[in-house]
Amino acid sequence: MRLKKQLFPILAIMGLLLLTLLNACGDPTATSAPAATTAAPAATTAAVAATTTAVAATTTAVATTTTAAATTTPAATTTTAAAPAATTAAVPTVPTTFVAAGQGCANGSTKLTWYIGLGAGADADVIPKEKAWADNFNKSQTEACVAIQVVHNPESYDTLKAQIAAGNGPDIVGPVGKAGRASFQGAWADITPLAQAAGFDISKYDPALIDFTKDEGVLVGIPFALFPSMLFYNKALFDEAKLPYPPHKVGEQYQGKDWNLETFTALAQKLSVDSKGNDATDPNFDAKNIKQFGFFEGPTDSRGIATNFGGGLPYDPANPKAAKIPDNWRAAFNWYYNSVWKTHISPNDDYQNSDLLKKGSTFDSGNVAMQDSHTWYTCCFDMKKLNWDVAVLPTVNGKTTAKLHGDTFAILKQSKNQAVAFKVLSKMVVDKDLYQIYGGMPAIPGDRAGFFTALSARTGTNKIDWTVADEMLKYPDLPNHESYLPNIIKANDAFTKFRKLLDQTPGLNVDQEIDKLQATLDALFKAAT
Amino acid sequence: MAVDAVKTKPAGRGLMGRQRLRWGLFFLAPWFIGFFAFQLLPIVFTFFLSFTDYNATKEFAPENFNFVGLNNYGRLFSDPELGNSLGVTLKFTLIAVPLGLIVPLMFALLVNSKHLFAPNVFRTLFFLPTVIPVVAGVLVFQGVLNPQSGWIDLLLKVFGIEGPRWLSDPTWAIPALNLLGLWGVGNAMLIYLGALQSVPTEIYEASVLDGANGIQRFINITIPMISPVIFYNVTLGVITSFQYFVAALLIGGRNGDPQGATLFYNLHFYRQAFVFNDMGYASVLALFLFAIVMVLTTFMFTFLQRGIYYASSDI
Repeated sequence: MRLKKQLFPILAIMGLLLLTLLNACGDPTATSAPAATTAAPAATTAAVAATTTAVAATTTAVATTTTAAATTTPAATTTTAAAPAATTAAVPTVPTTFVAAGQGCANGSTKLTWYIGLGAGADADVIPKEKAWADNFNKSQTEACVAIQVVHNPESYDTLKAQIAAGNGPDIVGPVGKAGRASFQGAWADITPLAQAAGFDISKYDPALIDFTKDEGVLVGIPFALFPSMLFYNKALFDEAKLPYPPHKVGEQYQGKDWNLETFTALAQKLSVDSKGNDATDPNFDAKNIKQFGFFEGPTDSRGIATNFGGGLPYDPANPKAAKIPDNWRAAFNWYYNSVWKTHISPNDDYQNSDLLKKGSTFDSGNVAMQDSHTWYTCCFDMKKLNWDVAVLPTVNGKTTAKLHGDTFAILKQSKNQAVAFKVLSKMVVDKDLYQIYGGMPAIPGDRAGFFTALSARTGTNKIDWTVADEMLKYPDLPNHESYLPNIIKANDAFTKFRKLLDQTPGLNVDQEIDKLQATLDALFKAAT
Repeated sequence: MAVDAVKTKPAGRGLMGRQRLRWGLFFLAPWFIGFFAFQLLPIVFTFFLSFTDYNATKEFAPENFNFVGLNNYGRLFSDPELGNSLGVTLKFTLIAVPLGLIVPLMFALLVNSKHLFAPNVFRTLFFLPTVIPVVAGVLVFQGVLNPQSGWIDLLLKVFGIEGPRWLSDPTWAIPALNLLGLWGVGNAMLIYLGALQSVPTEIYEASVLDGANGIQRFINITIPMISPVIFYNVTLGVITSFQYFVAALLIGGRNGDPQGATLFYNLHFYRQAFVFNDMGYASVLALFLFAIVMVLTTFMFTFLQRGIYYASSDI
C-alpha cells in the first residue's frame, strides 16, 4: 500500500524529467514536416549546442505564445570545401559524428584528440581505416594516446567552432587545406617553435611547399599531401565517339593541333551530346535535352575556375585594400560562362543537380567526358567500375596551370598538449598508410612511387597514367587559388556566390557581374582589420 | 453570548498546504531547471554578446569578449543583406500563411465530408508526409523540383508547358519552398478536422431549416465556429515563417541561392554567426527577430482576436 502511494509521484517525476529533456532537446514531432503552419518552429543546427546563446533568442518569441521548444536538427549544408559534393546537398551516408576512444594506449600516455572532417576523411569507407591507424599508432609508442573524432564535412565547421568556444577543442585537426584553415583564422598554433623543440628538420622540405603551408606568414603544419589538378576523362565516351584520348604530357599535340583551350573546347563540344545523338557542334543540338557533357569544372569556387587561366590575386599586393580582378581571370569567367550557356559543354546548376549527373557526383554518373579535378577526387567515384584515365590540362595563352591543393595536419592553439601533438603530427605527415587513406601525393618525392603503386591497386583493370599527376605538379597556380585574401571568409563567400551565379543564370552580362564582384571585394578588403 | 469566531488558518497555510506546495514546486523544478539552463541563460548571454565582438573561433571566455558598445546595433542600419533577408522572409510569409490556412482547411473539409469514400485512407495519406524528417523531405523535393529530371517539370512537359527552373530562378525559389511547405499540411489538416467535428450539428440543422445553402453555412457557421483554431494556425504560421531555416539552408545553401532569393532572415543570422563567426552582430540579429515576432504576435492578439468567436463566455 505504501509502495502504491509512492509509485505515482515516482512515475510523475520520471515523466517530468523526460518532458524536461524533450523541452531542452526538441519536440520530435514538431520538425517532422516542412509545413509553415501548425508545426512548431524549427530552429538551427545540432552543432551549436555549446553556443546556443544567439540561437535560443530566436525561440523566445515562440516561448511566449506556445510551449514549443528550441529544436535542433542536423543541417546538411552545401559547402565548397574540398569535399566533392560541394555543388549539392548530398544525402549523408555516414553518421554525423563518429568518435572512437584511443585503443591500445600505454598507461600514463597523453590523451590527444584528432579531429577529422574539415577536409577529406569523413567517408564511410575511410573511417575504419583511420580508426585502425590510430589504434596501431597507439600501440607503437607510449607517449601519446590518439582518439579520433570524425565529423561529416557539412557539419564539421560548426562542430569545431562549438568545441573551441566551449574550451574543449581537439588537439590535431586534419587533413585540412588552406580553405578549411581560413575558416578558423588565428586558431592554429605556430609549428616552428614546436619543430625546433622536437628537433624536427623542416629544411628537408621544398621551401615552396613550406611557404604553401603558411597562413599569413605563420607555419601551421608540415606539408603532408599534395593534390594537383588534372583532367579525369571517361575513356568509354571517347571510344563511343571514336575520338583519341587527350594528351598525357605537356607539349603533346591532339590530332595534329596544339593541346590548347581552343582544341579542348572543340573536343568537348564533340563530346557533348543531346538526347537525339547530336553533338554540340550540330545546328540541331538541343541544349534543353543534353544527355552527355564534354566537360565539368570540378567542385571549386570561381577563384578556382579563374586560376585555370593563370594564377593571380584579386588585389594589387602593393595595395591589398583595393580589389582588382586580373584580366586573365575575366577571360576565365567569360570562357566558363560561355561553356555553360553558349557552347553547352558544361552543365548548368540544374543539370549538375539532376539524376543525369547523379545529383552532383558528375564524373561517377558516366555522363561527363572530362572533368578538371584534383587527385583527391579519386575518393569520390567508382575507380573500378568506370573506364577512365587522366590527362594533362590544356594550355591557355601558351601557359599550363594546374591548380594545387595541399593538406596538412594542424594543431589548435587551444591545445594543452602541443608538444606531444607535434610529435604525433610529425609521424602522421610521413605515414604511408595515411597517404593511401587520403589519396594525396606525398609531399616527400621519395614516397610518391609507393603511393601510386598502392593507389593503382584500387583502380581494378584500369591502368592509370599517374605520371600526369607528377607532370601537373610542375605547373601549380601561383599565387594559389586558396591563398590569403583580406577578410578571407567573406571574400571566399563572394567567390562562391559568383560561381553559383554563373551556373544558375542565363543571359548575364558577365563583365558587368565581374565589376560587381570587384566592387564587393573592394568593400570587403577595405573593411578588413 | 458571543460566539468566538473560530480563527481558521488561511487556505494552504497548514501543514498539508505547505506539503502540497513543496510537492508542486518539486514537480515543476525540472521544467524550471530546463528553462533556466537552456532558454533563459542563453538569452541573457545573447544580450551580453550583442555588446561585444566575440568571434566564434575563440574560446567562450572573458578574455575573448571585447566590449564595443552599440556598434553592433548600429550595423543593423548599414547591413546590405538585412533588407533583402527581411524581404525574402516577408514574401514567403505572405504566401505561406494564407496557403497554410486555406489548403489544410480544404483538405479537412474534404476528409470531413460524408460523401468521401474511405476518409480514413485519405486522412492517413494527407498526414503521412508530416512524419518524414525535414531533411529527407527537402532532399526528395530537390529531386522532384529539378527542371531536368524532376517529375513536376516532366509532367508539365507532357502538356507542352516549359516548367520553371524552380530552384535556380530567383522568381520561383520562394514559390518552390511554399510548394514544399504544402507537402506537410497534414498536421494542420488534423487540427482543422478536429475543429470541424466539434461544431455542433444542431446549428447546421437549424440553418438548413432556415434555407441556408452550403456556402452560406460555411461562411456564417463553420468559419466563425472554427475561428479560434484559424487564429491559432495563423499565429503559429507567422511565427514559424519568420523562423524558417532548415529547408532554406538545404535548398539554397549558405548563400541563400539563387542570388539571395532564399536568404531568409534566420539564414542571414546563421551566416553571421556560423559562417562569418561574428557572434556579436548575430546576437543583435537574434534579438531583432525576437522584437519583430513579439510585435507581430502582440498585433495579432490585440487586433485579430476581435474577430474571433469564442464559445466559452470566459474569453
